[in-house]
Amino acid sequence: TSSSGVVQGAPGLVSVPPGFSMPSVPPPSFPGQPAGETGSPLPNPGTYEECHRKCKEVFPIQMEGVRLVVNKGLSNHFQVSHTVTLSTLAESGYRFGATYVGTQQTGPAESFPVMVGDMDNTASLNAQVIHQLTSAVRSKIAIQTQQHKFVNWQCDLEYRGDDFTSAVTLGNPDVLLGSGIIVAHYLQSISPALAFGGELVYHRRPGEEGAVTSLMGRYTGNNYVATLTLGGAGAHATYYHRANDQLQLGVEFEGSMRTQETAVSFGYQLDLPKANLLFKGSVDSNWVVGAVLEKKLLPLPLSLALGAFLNQKKNTFQCGFNVTVG
Amino acid sequence: MSAAGKKAIGAPGYGVVEWISTACRFATDRNDFRRNLLVNLGLFAAGVWVARNLSDFDLMSPQPII
Repeated sequence: TSSSGVVQGAPGLVSVPPGFSMPSVPPPSFPGQPAGETGSPLPNPGTYEECHRKCKEVFPIQMEGVRLVVNKGLSNHFQVSHTVTLSTLAESGYRFGATYVGTQQTGPAESFPVMVGDMDNTASLNAQVIHQLTSAVRSKIAIQTQQHKFVNWQCDLEYRGDDFTSAVTLGNPDVLLGSGIIVAHYLQSISPALAFGGELVYHRRPGEEGAVTSLMGRYTGNNYVATLTLGGAGAHATYYHRANDQLQLGVEFEGSMRTQETAVSFGYQLDLPKANLLFKGSVDSNWVVGAVLEKKLLPLPLSLALGAFLNQKKNTFQCGFNVTVG
Repeated sequence: MSAAGKKAIGAPGYGVVEWISTACRFATDRNDFRRNLLVNLGLFAAGVWVARNLSDFDLMSPQPII
């Protein structure tokens, strides 16, 4: 420093009096980069199948007959379930299910591997194994048998990038027969709210092969999600709206060029946790009205579900109730 | 001549009636794919409008005291 108190800078730099500082110099902007762009990363858009799921979950599921489900957790990792079904339309029977969740924790509510299986009294098996191979790659194997015969077997691999998700599914591959199905999905975030994606389905059988493609776009707002899928099979549009903590609504449009049919469904879900109540209702363009009421019977570890569906056009009525213990 | 003249004068009116009856037949023909598609697209748009504009009510709010 000099005797006057001014701080001498290095050669080429300006000297400033003590107590003052040089203003900061903005970083040099490169050609093609707009000034002020911070380059915030795009979020991962999720999976292709999840895009319509939020709207679909609002709608009630058709119930018929009586079902008793008893869930028992044997440890933090293992749970079994017993299901007894009594029905006039479907087969009545008993089903034993087991779920194992492994110790490899990847998130607050996610642990791997996950093994889920259930078998009914005719020895028909449904089983799935889901495992996170690396931080970005997840795999799943699913098998379905009807008594001793394998009906469905499939394997899929999903890769989650920073702003995209891609997945490949191999369904019922049969090397000896030369048949199988390959499904490829890709979903890319264009902006924090907009995502575009596509699906390619290729199937092959002896003497026959074909492919179907479809494109999807999804826009996520503050409290709504609008999704549109267009493809060779037809069009599928869903709109999900979260009105408030208690009310969620969904509107769905499906149109098929192949069957020359279109349908619209309107559904809503009322969630009242203070009353331990969940109510779902729906009405659609085929004159079908349905509702499901779920009520937790606290302090018992019991929940009761009542459902009814009425088809005005065909004059049919279906109702059912489920009791879940545990 | 007069009958032909009357028919010529009434032709535009007759065309409008024909158009209205065609439109009514189209709107009520449940077997027509284009008609069903338009009706269902309109219902979808109406459903989205209802979801966005008529769903802002609070079920747990206290009852008004009259």
